[in-house]
Amino acid sequence: MSDWTRGRRSDSHSSKPENRKRGVDGSLRANRETGGSGRENGGHTDGSYRYSEKRHASFTTPESTGPVSRCSRPADWGSQVDDDEMRRDVHRDMQRRRILGAEVTQRERKTSSGSSESCDSREGENMETDEAVLLRRQKQINYGKNTLAYDRYTKEVPKHMRQPGVHPKTPNKFRKYSRRSWDQQIKLWKVKLHAWDPPTEDGQDKVLDIEELDLGDVMDIELDFPTLPDSQNASLPARSLSLEGEDCSGTPVKVQKTETTVEPDMA
Amino acid sequence: MLPSIMENTTDDYRIQSFDLDTQMLLKTALKDPSSVNLEKVSDIIMDQSLKDQVFSKEAGRICYTIVQAEAKQNNGNVFRRNLLNRLQQEFKNREETRGRSLQEWVCYVSFICNIFDYLKVNNMPMVALVHPVYDCLIRLAQPDALMNEEEVDCLVLQLHRIGEQLEKVNSPRMDELFFLLRDGFLLQEGLTSMARLLLLEILEFRAGGWLLSSTAHKYYYSEIAD
Repeated sequence: MSDWTRGRRSDSHSSKPENRKRGVDGSLRANRETGGSGRENGGHTDGSYRYSEKRHASFTTPESTGPVSRCSRPADWGSQVDDDEMRRDVHRDMQRRRILGAEVTQRERKTSSGSSESCDSREGENMETDEAVLLRRQKQINYGKNTLAYDRYTKEVPKHMRQPGVHPKTPNKFRKYSRRSWDQQIKLWKVKLHAWDPPTEDGQDKVLDIEELDLGDVMDIELDFPTLPDSQNASLPARSLSLEGEDCSGTPVKVQKTETTVEPDMA
Repeated sequence: MLPSIMENTTDDYRIQSFDLDTQMLLKTALKDPSSVNLEKVSDIIMDQSLKDQVFSKEAGRICYTIVQAEAKQNNGNVFRRNLLNRLQQEFKNREETRGRSLQEWVCYVSFICNIFDYLKVNNMPMVALVHPVYDCLIRLAQPDALMNEEEVDCLVLQLHRIGEQLEKVNSPRMDELFFLLRDGFLLQEGLTSMARLLLLEILEFRAGGWLLSSTAHKYYYSEIAD
């Protein structure tokens, strides 16, 4: 958040309950669509990357104490440049994927399975091409990669030594997945990466908890999630994450316990 | 490191004007960015650029190297982010800065243009800086600014260095700027002869495709001792 936005946070409570939307400069926004005036840079646009002309550049949410800008065009230069850089990287990746994807497809068909996930998105067929989606996914991947855990992981385990199922693998942003499926893969990937967190002073508790989950048995994130409708897709992983492990009765642990006995320490 | 190598670094990055401790800090930042406080380093560079004319024109290079070093070492961008946000702060206050000190204002413009020149993203100029740079140059082309040789000199220097790049990324604003320059040259009363010379030269320079023809070069620069 830029200083500019921060300074306006105290202004967040509007006297007009029916119109709480504020622009990034703190001024009350009329309910009509603002189109071009919603831009955050004082009207300066360079024609690149319009998320959508019709959407407000900022909005208030229950969690925030002030205007929250959409991620489309942050007000501070530092973030803008980071976003531009990410966008260019993603475009470059797309070009690379288009060219290499076609080549690999031919090779893959001749050899047996065991292909790495990144080669699976055949050019044209099931490749995700929506820029907004790719950018969002890349951002999520970047959050995971900009961690000490990832750093330590990549240094400790070179790519050619990675075993599927054991070692975390970055989800492939070019494959078609539902939103839920993708978010779940990211979550699981990051959980797996935690195993490489640097040791903390207060003992290894954090790391042990994660390892107890033993997701490797329960959930293999290299598996191809079929492009099913959201509800079908999400229910499978959710059940498997129950700490009871293989049980998979579907009933969360806490509910089970309260149904049977009332223990003093449950209070 | 050999003393001679250290000296080259000082020269290359023009950091002679810093005290020795700070020079050491900067050199460490170049070699091992994660071992220093990069926010502090970017602040030091920013502050010095506003005071030191020579450094403000060349600071882009050391900034570029630190950005690359940090990215390579740990994929970080603390330095760049902080530098840009400081630049943005100063940009917001530029009119006040200009009112307080022409020198500081001129230093700021040199610095932001130098950053624009050096800090590319995937070999493309940083889009976020395009309009701010134009805003600064257009400010320098205003009638009150044209009266000050310092500001005219700064303006033409930046156009020589980054004019072509700027035009490529936004041609209409360059046209806007040059309308002002033509008007300034033609109509502005009270311009010094040096100011008029500088303006004429830059008008020819752009008209020549950001190149001075050899005859024009002879005209403008032949008086300078070889």
